[in-house]
Amino acid sequence: MSYRPPDKLKTTVVGSYPYFSEALKAFQLRKKGQRGPEYESLVKEATRRAVEDYINVGLDIIADGEQRREDMAVFFAEELGGFEISDLVRIFDNVYFRKPVIADRITWIHEIVFGDWKYASGISRGRPVKVTLTGPYTMYSWSFDKFYGDPRKAILDLAEALRKEIEALVGAGAAYIQVDEPAFSTRAEKSDLEIAEEAFEIMFEGLDNVKRITHICYGKLERLFPAILDFPIDQIDLETKNSNYKVLDLLREYSFDKELALGVVDVHSSRIEAVDEVIEGILRGLEVVRPDKLYVKPDCGLKRLSREVALAKLENMVKAAKKVREELA
Amino acid sequence: MRLLAGICGSFPRPPALRRAFDELEAGRIGEKEFMDILENSTREVVGLQENAGMSVTTSGLLMWHDLLRPFAVKFSGIEPRRLLRFFDNNFYYRCPAIVGRVSWNGPVTMDEVRRVKRYTTRPVKAIIPGPYTFLKLSENLFYESEDLLVDDLIKALRSEADVLGEVADFLQVDEPSLVDPELGRADRMRGIDIVNELLSRVKIPGEKVIVATYFDLDPEKYSLLLELKAGLHVDLKSRVEAAREALMEYGFDGKLLSLGVIDSRSIFPEDPREIVYRLSPILDAASPETLIFSTSSWLDYIPFNEAVRKLDALGRVLAEAEVRFG
Repeated sequence: MSYRPPDKLKTTVVGSYPYFSEALKAFQLRKKGQRGPEYESLVKEATRRAVEDYINVGLDIIADGEQRREDMAVFFAEELGGFEISDLVRIFDNVYFRKPVIADRITWIHEIVFGDWKYASGISRGRPVKVTLTGPYTMYSWSFDKFYGDPRKAILDLAEALRKEIEALVGAGAAYIQVDEPAFSTRAEKSDLEIAEEAFEIMFEGLDNVKRITHICYGKLERLFPAILDFPIDQIDLETKNSNYKVLDLLREYSFDKELALGVVDVHSSRIEAVDEVIEGILRGLEVVRPDKLYVKPDCGLKRLSREVALAKLENMVKAAKKVREELA
Repeated sequence: MRLLAGICGSFPRPPALRRAFDELEAGRIGEKEFMDILENSTREVVGLQENAGMSVTTSGLLMWHDLLRPFAVKFSGIEPRRLLRFFDNNFYYRCPAIVGRVSWNGPVTMDEVRRVKRYTTRPVKAIIPGPYTFLKLSENLFYESEDLLVDDLIKALRSEADVLGEVADFLQVDEPSLVDPELGRADRMRGIDIVNELLSRVKIPGEKVIVATYFDLDPEKYSLLLELKAGLHVDLKSRVEAAREALMEYGFDGKLLSLGVIDSRSIFPEDPREIVYRLSPILDAASPETLIFSTSSWLDYIPFNEAVRKLDALGRVLAEAEVRFG
């Protein structure tokens, strides 16, 4: 079955979707080290339900919903060679998490997200399925390093490891690869961005037949410009609704000519944005980027919302994009 | 030069206390049982500091959810509300919403300092947030003028400082916002004026007070920090080269300097001998009467067992330094 996305204002998601009960059960099995057929079938069912919701709501480019990943950094740390998981570290109040620890040289040892992408692509009714990977800079920033002692070496090894996953995906036909780098906007200095740019070159060198995307959110997006414009990427996916589209002024200032994936609904609020409110956001994006280069999507992953709220937000987002598309025609 | 060692502020909660917080909230234990666990945990954390050779101890700030929380809860006119990122850390604090006139309502952390004194005869350092950081990390929903809010914050913090001065040997005023890279020179200078205003009003003598900055340091910021009328704690680990350059360029001729030589946000193994070796050029330029070796910032950013290793490394830094510089 084939599906032809519209030429203008394609709708998409950042990646994650609210966890289905099957995913929550799978997390429990995973914690006990039970990753057998029962675990796989639970993840598959959760992925199927996420894909169904994405298709039914009318998105043009979907994702697998990240139903296998309880945490975006810990999941990759558990799948890559060289990582351990630390004892508990406080994150706020009396709430703790286990932070990845780089304890040895980082290596790719097996496929990480390939299987879920392949499965989602098989049931997507022709819609492209975007792959989402936690980026090397973010993986490093959100881990303890007790092996390298040199961010550059660690980040470039992470990039080499992810490159292997990307090669497998592109070889199998993945057309949209998104590298999530939320840590860019919290800590990155100029020298960090230089290392990150090298990492992106490693991950994407020679891969021209794929849409290369980076997703960045929450923090000081302005500190990324203009350095991020030199990255070997085709599309920048930003959180913009929550920060009142402030970053658009910067894009205008730098004559931004890459594709822009614009966040038009807030994923940290359960308020459902009205269609007109979403249209207003899209129109603001169109002041900076041509409609064929503008993608419409939520600010970030949807996993913290309830399924009902996530669906309602996506529904209004799809309606708004359609309405603007019609007006443009 | 007198050489001492002591952690910058907090220590991770021992596992028993971590569990006790959850048990108390869930109603599975009562206040009395919780306080017994807190008492034991304080004894444990103080003991760890003593065993590692710390010459100055803290309570580990075991009850503090974040730098501002005990004060946001106890002062009048403030409510802790939404979670916000604490500088560039994967750690969040509840932003104090200023909803009324801010005032001191009695001691906030006096009991905590007394608790430490029960378990050690070594000098004890008490900690309070500074007025500038309090201001920058709060949301003002009440005062028409920021100056009026600053004035009331200073009054409230001064009252706390004065009662702590009766029981503590050192007072640390935490002011990470003074080196916040997002702020400009004018903001920083205003911040220093605000902190100096507090320092001019407290009863504790200046040589017992340390203004603690962390998460950043460079020559420009450091040159401004030298205007502070108290001892100073600086983080030598977040930006290693820029911080070294700052100390070597501007030196330090005040009475009390605390150097954050052990990285409190990383678990990468540190070599005390190399740390001390690399301090030599800094100590050629800086010659305080009292030098405290410390962690770069609070130890909340690493697990408990790693913090114990950091304490050990800090103790060995002091021992090495005594041989080399003592």
